[in-house]
Amino acid sequence: MNRRNSIPVTIVSGFLGAGKTTLLNRILSSDHGLRMAVMVNDFGAINIDSQLIVSQTQTTISLANGCICCTVESDLIEQLGRMLDNRENRPEYIVIEASGVSNPVKIANTLRYPQFRDVLSIDSILTVVDAAQFENLEGVMAQLAMEQLDAADIIVLNKIDQVRREQVDALRARWLYPKARLLEARHCEVPLELVLGVGRFNSDGKLKPAESRVPSHSLGITPARDHGAIFDTWCWSSDQPLSLKALRQTLAALPTDIYRAKGVCNIAEVPGQRCIMHLVGNRCEINPAEKWQGTAPFSQVIVIGKRGAIDAAAFQTAFEQCIA
Amino acid sequence: MGNPADFSSSNIPGNTGAADLVLTNGRIYTVDASNPWADAVAIRGGRFIAVGRAAEVASCIGAHTRVVDLNGRFAMPGLYDMHTHPDLALAPGYSGDLAIGLDDPTPEQVKQAVLDYAESHPGDGWIYGQYFVRYTFKQAGLVADREWLDSFMPDRPVAILDRSWGCMLVNSKALELAGINTDTTDPRHGYIERDSVTAEPTGILVDGAYAMIHATMPPTPQHALKRAYREGVQFQSGHGVVGTKYVHVCEHRLNALKSIDQAGELSVRVEAAISWQDDIFPVKRRWELLAGERHFYRSARLNANAVKFHFDGTHESRSSYLSSAWPGESSWRGHLNLTPEHITDMVVDMDRKGVRVIAHCTGDGASDLFLDAVAEARRRNGDSGVRHQCAHSTTLLDANLPRFAELQVTAEFSPVGWFPSSFANARAVFGEERMQRAYNFKGVLEAGGVAVMGTDWPVSSLNPWIGFEAMITRQNPFAEEEGSFYGKPISLEQAISVMTINGAWCMGIEGQAGSITVGKSADLIVLDRNLFDIAAKGNIHNTQVQLTLLEGEVTWDRLGEFDGTDYAAIWQGELPNF
Repeated sequence: MNRRNSIPVTIVSGFLGAGKTTLLNRILSSDHGLRMAVMVNDFGAINIDSQLIVSQTQTTISLANGCICCTVESDLIEQLGRMLDNRENRPEYIVIEASGVSNPVKIANTLRYPQFRDVLSIDSILTVVDAAQFENLEGVMAQLAMEQLDAADIIVLNKIDQVRREQVDALRARWLYPKARLLEARHCEVPLELVLGVGRFNSDGKLKPAESRVPSHSLGITPARDHGAIFDTWCWSSDQPLSLKALRQTLAALPTDIYRAKGVCNIAEVPGQRCIMHLVGNRCEINPAEKWQGTAPFSQVIVIGKRGAIDAAAFQTAFEQCIA
Repeated sequence: MGNPADFSSSNIPGNTGAADLVLTNGRIYTVDASNPWADAVAIRGGRFIAVGRAAEVASCIGAHTRVVDLNGRFAMPGLYDMHTHPDLALAPGYSGDLAIGLDDPTPEQVKQAVLDYAESHPGDGWIYGQYFVRYTFKQAGLVADREWLDSFMPDRPVAILDRSWGCMLVNSKALELAGINTDTTDPRHGYIERDSVTAEPTGILVDGAYAMIHATMPPTPQHALKRAYREGVQFQSGHGVVGTKYVHVCEHRLNALKSIDQAGELSVRVEAAISWQDDIFPVKRRWELLAGERHFYRSARLNANAVKFHFDGTHESRSSYLSSAWPGESSWRGHLNLTPEHITDMVVDMDRKGVRVIAHCTGDGASDLFLDAVAEARRRNGDSGVRHQCAHSTTLLDANLPRFAELQVTAEFSPVGWFPSSFANARAVFGEERMQRAYNFKGVLEAGGVAVMGTDWPVSSLNPWIGFEAMITRQNPFAEEEGSFYGKPISLEQAISVMTINGAWCMGIEGQAGSITVGKSADLIVLDRNLFDIAAKGNIHNTQVQLTLLEGEVTWDRLGEFDGTDYAAIWQGELPNF
């Protein structure tokens, strides 16, 4: 099966009370135009505007925007299998809430099983952290927190308004590994385009024009400011083949305020075939895809980062050095 | 193994005269309908020679007879636990593997632990153990992969589990020995992590891929298996068990059981079922064992004339195979691990060989197909006399209840789900209609069939008295939760039969054991309470067994009543506390 038709999956992890439910509510009720399945642990905690609800059973809520919200069952393998077997209402995007006391790597591992890896692709693993509570963790809970941070592509440092800057610095020093991607947020207000593979950074391997399908007001930022005002993008292209090793090194060395990159690449080690590059946070995957078939091979990379994070000249040099 | 002097064949006259042992002045419930209660029993050569009033039995007392006064205590036949796994519960902890033993070992500490283990276990053998944690590698700016392990341990195979058991880290030598390379197919419930472009394994193996390493590694060491079984039978004898089934064995497990048997410490009759699949551990000599090598292990206490397989899945994963769709589903009925054709041919062939088939069937669709396979075996082979066993039997179709009797199949139930507890409630997922007929002991018994129980340790406790009580009450024995669980309770008398004579039937020895009857094996337990004088709820699960006799041998003597005599018990004092 073609990976380009696979369904992107985002895993949301984090302790109870960190703000996962706020984020999931935001995802469910925003107008992203996708038939999304949001799998949550606690149905009761999800607070959906009743006017949006089309129908509801004990385990599923269907919304007017095409989303469904359902509870995560004890065996994800069977549940995902059944979801994929449902041809009429197969979701276009899946969000899975990891239990507050679980390691999200287990879910990620499951998605990579042979029966799933061609039909589901991990878009991103998000870990929501309560900035105010985090430094008090000890023992087993501290270990679990480290596992959740380890698994994260992007860490959402929530409730940032409740802590002092020195506390944030201390938290970074104690908990974060080198290269961790951090988004600071209040009430989990994070641009969904950055944390989910929707809009321009969707997962079908095609780069969309600059305008987004998603109205900015639904992205958790004020309508007056477009996300373009907060985030910069940068594009690079080349018709020369790239060295796999050099490209991996360049991507790994991107600064920590670069959150996503996507690209079609012409890799010297994989002649005749295009490769799809998908970078979220500090996780990068380069996967061989279909043949060029008549098209002249090329590479095109688009990078999105915090405003001011992109040093165009330095990036240009770094990517030029990838040419084999 | 038994004393050669005790064996009697058809043309050698048995001993005549006095009993070896007389237990008198008891309240003895015999499970023999023709003689339900007795005060005394006389035992000679491992069998009951008299069961009845104290005065009648007294005629068997001779000069050398040991007479024990039960002081009015309650006694009954020994118990049968028809499905359990001491090896799976205990042996992994006894294997002497690498134990890094730190909460958050740094890569440097993992490396030092591997080097230290290699030094204290010289040679070229496997270094296998736990744990590393991936985030400490990330913090150190390192990647946990085979190249990192190779950098300090290139020549000996190494496999280390991740603390959260999400993955296993192995070096290149381990991959080579396991034959894992770019061309290796992934297992179904797991995968080999690979470079996305070159497909080279990185050294990280996930879930189902562990089995590929385990299949290459030496088996669980004998010392660990022996200790596990030895402690298992000790615990069981201490709780009044005289017959049990260790469901899932391989040649190494049988060797361990045989050595305990030869040492005279196999204090329980054990039927060991050879695994039909490699899903728990590899069984390299499966076909030799089934063809006849199993007879090598046979003694009075041990046999391997059974085979065990996983037919369907579990409640938790909604993979139990049901006769109709799962609640809330239009078509999903669960999963069968093997096709009905496979099972039919297997049951027919095993039945012909005299091998009992024990089938894991949690869903009512799986047991339906299993009973069909047994029916086909009966049609082709006639009555072989082999009683096959439907394991777990969590829900059964009402239409199948009479078939257990017709086809001479045992319905075995595991207690973990039949009383209210958070665990049982979480597993009560079959929907209201199906849950109403969960653990249907009563249905099987009323239709004339044989129902038994198996503790299924480590899924639930190895102590059979917990399930014994809950079978009668369907309530939580520890008063942790109020209310009754689904399904119908059975009477005390029915439950005692389930725990005793039905177990003997399920092992094919009901003519020789399972009740206190003249001529049968002298298997008997003495309790600290009379089960007929107490309310079942809260009072059976904590029963103390004071004496256990198996073939007239004292296997457990809680109070030291036989200390210093020829009958000194195999086990006394403290029981292992698992």
